[in-house]
Amino acid sequence: MDVKRRYVIPGDVIATGPLRPEHNVYQDGDRIIATSVGISEIYENVVRVIPLTGTYVPKTNDLIIGKVIGTSPLSWEFDINSPFMGFLPAQDVFGRDYSPTKDELRQRLDIGDLVAARIANFDRSRDPLLTVQDRDLGKMESGQLVEISPSKVPRLIGKRGSMIQTIEMATKAMITIGQNGWIVISCEVPDGLLKAIEAIKMVDALAHTPNLTERVKSMLGVPAGEYNDTIND
Amino acid sequence: MESVILDQLKRDRILDLLKEDKRIDGRALDEQRPLSIETGVIPKANGSARIKLGNTQVITGVKIQPDKPFPDLGDKGILICTAEILPLADPRVEPGPPTEEVIELARVVDRGIRETEMIDLRQLVLKEGKSVIGLFIDSSVIDSDGNLFDACSYASVTAILSCTVPKYELKDDVPVLVEGVTSKPPLKTIPVSVTMARIGNYIVVDPTSEEEACMDARITITTNSEGNICALQKGGSDGFTVDQLVRCSEIALSVGTKIRKRFEQLM
Repeated sequence: MDVKRRYVIPGDVIATGPLRPEHNVYQDGDRIIATSVGISEIYENVVRVIPLTGTYVPKTNDLIIGKVIGTSPLSWEFDINSPFMGFLPAQDVFGRDYSPTKDELRQRLDIGDLVAARIANFDRSRDPLLTVQDRDLGKMESGQLVEISPSKVPRLIGKRGSMIQTIEMATKAMITIGQNGWIVISCEVPDGLLKAIEAIKMVDALAHTPNLTERVKSMLGVPAGEYNDTIND
Repeated sequence: MESVILDQLKRDRILDLLKEDKRIDGRALDEQRPLSIETGVIPKANGSARIKLGNTQVITGVKIQPDKPFPDLGDKGILICTAEILPLADPRVEPGPPTEEVIELARVVDRGIRETEMIDLRQLVLKEGKSVIGLFIDSSVIDSDGNLFDACSYASVTAILSCTVPKYELKDDVPVLVEGVTSKPPLKTIPVSVTMARIGNYIVVDPTSEEEACMDARITITTNSEGNICALQKGGSDGFTVDQLVRCSEIALSVGTKIRKRFEQLM
């Protein structure tokens, strides 16, 4: 597996030739040019940039954490840490026979409540539609919210969930990661909660550095090699 | 600017921690956030200061120029404090005419400096009823994370402490600048405002915007160097009991003394 990586800024020519542009790049003739600040990757014939910063742009089927910031007669409005506002239709919670005169939205989800939801539909022309119709979705009853940059979320999850599994096992915490960079951690042990928060902040700060899983492990006091069924990157 | 919509989990946590006399950022209840003071940050102003109070940041400039006195205060110079919150300071702030909160902010800062009589305005008269020197103290909030009252007040006070007053003389009843001659402003005392929030039965000093989102009431007390309470502003929909007010006054004096020492080092 030969991957060429380097830091790029918007406008940098990453490569020339018959390559396929993927995330955060565009093609101009046979040149592939970066559109965001990040690390460029050329892997086989695919070129992409892994961004170092950026806002959250919703994608259908993403799991996110949203905060109720308002209600209308037919839906809840969510802050989803994005330029777009999330909408959760009342029918999604109350069922088909929802009636604005009979049911009170605020009794189910009040302003300030944190909710794990999925993006049901989003096409950039209208605000994203949310759903809580799935296992493990719905109001977060306990825990603590931690915010990281949405562009660091893939790093926090790690390859096949390696990073987050390491943190969860070492701290005995339950961690729900929203793709929008909001994370809810609940942990019975107060010490574990603080450790988990520290580890997540560390990933956020050092996401671009190599060997991060090992460094997180040593910070959490996990002996090297333990839970080591995953690839170190 | 409406307050932050705080998530319910954090609100619960703030309230739970208060029961153990702890705060979400680890401070004691009567502890302020770290304060950093920088003066002389605007070279073209007569005095200026930048204050960082935790994540709240305010920059203040003092402009001193001759002016006509107010008709009923012909024997006093002019003192005007203003404040604004820049749209960059907070996502909830929009450009446009000042909101009620911003007007309150400017008035509380102004009152603190005016009512403690920090500056002897009688010494700023060139000709009584005709011509006086005016101090215009303009604060801009450039980062907003709660307790803008104290941040703006500290920035204004330190900007005044660091300012130099140019000399003006009347020639045919017209004030003319005397080049190269400046003096210190005529100071009488150093006002220090201390803002406290009441969350349930707990009084917390220097609330962050998260704490402001769950406070029941707020009070700003300004004291002078002699330890007198000179100005006071209460906000929020709820009230304070007499005991709580006494406690707030004591905190305002003890915290104020520490801050005043920092200010005195600047002189």
